[in-house]
Amino acid sequence: MSRLVALVCLPPALALAVAAPGQRPAASTATGVYSEAQAAQGAMLYKDACAACHGETLAGTYEIPALTGRFLRNWSNGSVGTLFDYIGRAMPQMAPGSLTPEDNARIVAYLLKANGMPAGAQPLPADQGALDRIAFAPR
Amino acid sequence: MSEDIGLARRQLLTGSIALSGLSLAGCTTGLARSGPGRTPSGPMLAPMRVSPNELVDVKCCIRPFRAQGCRLDAEQLGDTLVIHNYGHGGSGWSLSWGSAEIAVGKAMSVLPRDIAVVGCGIVGLTAAVVAQRAGLNVTIYAREMFSRTRSVRAFGAWTPSSRIALTEPAGPAFAALWEQMARISWRYFRACLGLPGQPVEFIDSYSLSDTPPRNREHAPATSSFAATGVPQSEGEFAEYDSLVRDIVPSSTNLAAGENPFGTAYARRRSQMHFNFTGYGHMLLSEFFAMGGKFQNRDFHSPADIAALPEKVVINCPGYAARDLWRDQTIIPVRGQTGWLIPQPEAHYGLGYGGVSLLSKSDGVMVMHTDSTLGDMEGVGNSMELPDRSNIEAGLAIVAPLFARMAGGRA
Ligand SMILES: Cc1cc2nc3c(=O)[nH]c(=O)nc-3n(C[C@H](O)[C@H](O)[C@H](O)COP(=O)(O)OP(=O)(O)OC[C@H]3O[C@@H](n4cnc5c(N)ncnc54)[C@H](O)[C@@H]3O)c2cc1C
Ligand code: HEC
Repeated sequence: MSRLVALVCLPPALALAVAAPGQRPAASTATGVYSEAQAAQGAMLYKDACAACHGETLAGTYEIPALTGRFLRNWSNGSVGTLFDYIGRAMPQMAPGSLTPEDNARIVAYLLKANGMPAGAQPLPADQGALDRIAFAPR
Repeated sequence: MSEDIGLARRQLLTGSIALSGLSLAGCTTGLARSGPGRTPSGPMLAPMRVSPNELVDVKCCIRPFRAQGCRLDAEQLGDTLVIHNYGHGGSGWSLSWGSAEIAVGKAMSVLPRDIAVVGCGIVGLTAAVVAQRAGLNVTIYAREMFSRTRSVRAFGAWTPSSRIALTEPAGPAFAALWEQMARISWRYFRACLGLPGQPVEFIDSYSLSDTPPRNREHAPATSSFAATGVPQSEGEFAEYDSLVRDIVPSSTNLAAGENPFGTAYARRRSQMHFNFTGYGHMLLSEFFAMGGKFQNRDFHSPADIAALPEKVVINCPGYAARDLWRDQTIIPVRGQTGWLIPQPEAHYGLGYGGVSLLSKSDGVMVMHTDSTLGDMEGVGNSMELPDRSNIEAGLAIVAPLFARMAGGRA
């Protein structure tokens, strides 16, 4: 209830960040929403742009969050679009906003793979609207 | 001003500098008589051990700077009242209590019984405790508990106007608000003195230099925050310390025979600081003893916060507000600290050649800043990885001071 009220009153940009109640996402990460090739490209990009802080094995540090384990819990209640949106404007931390949407999608594909979510035939789209309709649902 | 305690730039610049009578020659004579490390009238100081092989940690952190000063306004999100409490720059520790009083006051105005606090850094945790003392039931929601927040990567001294605002964009109203926060905080901190675990302490802090202290000239500004959206020169940063001069100890010049370090010039003042471990323990103990609850959460948008069961929320995410609230008024200001092993026998602080040392119960803290940059150091830099070589270079600058002290004692 409170969520609904909040959404109605929020500016559209903010409301986008969560899938509107009632509007079921079309797909979920449990069904194979990225391709192996895309995740492999994402792994290379991760090494260059992210590993210095989040670690080669995504383990993070005492100060910098891990991108496995707790990460799944942190992002599970929303859509892949929420994660894509966050990475696109906040990461890499020293140059936020510098990733192209395509590279961002590759990195997200890699993160899904590294967290045990299955690959499929099609690559993950680099489109915010489409990603908002994919539920982040580990296994 | 910068957080370095000892040679805090503006301390050298402001205040009555009555060193004119203290000539280098006089100083040398004084040293010959007393020797470094001991003073006829002052305290006998143990030299600090500053070898890099006792450097046990280097931590990097981003200050959440806002040109307008910290954000304390209220915002209605649907049926949820959000009171912001973030953007405290290099002064979050120092202003934490005053800022909490203002935020909790705003929360109380709608007569809630239960409130949520987002964030468990020094700003959020303090707000939670102040809300409890006002009789509210409080749940803290945060991704990290206190000991893993940016707050414990600070220097942790009383520096209430360190990169808290720019004079122009903040305006006189913020100066008045700052004074209110600083005075309230000072009172709260004083009430923590002498508690078990030494959460808050005063120690002697020395500003040392080989050349006469003088007013640093700000390079003429070629651009400004107004033109670019980012601070462009040191002269733009607000300096409010003089507003609380009546309660905060000021420094005194040391005569040659009173200077334990053998430098040509020295000033000493009583400096308040916060011992992170003991302080965090004190606040968390009170929070839980008063029935506070903690929930581990990672919010991704304001809508997530509006969906909390508590309909009054004090929002204290620190630098992360930039992404959580999409608040681009937060400008990153990078800084870092090194930690040497605890040295209770050398219980003082000093500043020399851009290096600040502060002996705390949980270690001797080291900061090494570029004195030509002053407040501009780290502005716009959000690379939050530590650089150990900078701290090691700082240790090399202060090492001769202590070698001389040790020699003087032999
Ligand atoms: C090098 C350095 C030296 C400093 N020295 C001093 C000093 O001597 N004196 C002084 O007064 N100040 C000093 N400061 C400034 C001080 O450290 C900061 O102003 C202060 O730590 C800000 O605290 P905070 O609680 O607002 O933020 P933080 O400590 O960053 O806490 C934020 C909290 O919010 C949580 N959070 C954030 N985003 C989310 C999210 N999306 N979902 C859930 N939870 C979230 C975090 O997990 C954390 O619990 C220094 C800073 C630096 C970098
Ligand atoms: C300079 C260090 C640094 C780099 C490089 C970096 N990050 Fe981060 N990252 C951080 C920090 C610090 C945080 C915590 C942010 C905060 O609290 O403000 C974070 C948070 C995150 C989060 C949120 C974690 C959570 O569970 O909430 C994700 C996802 C992330 N980073 C992905 C990336 C990706 C992908 C890259 C590469 C494109 C990257 N990061 C590069 C430092 C870095």
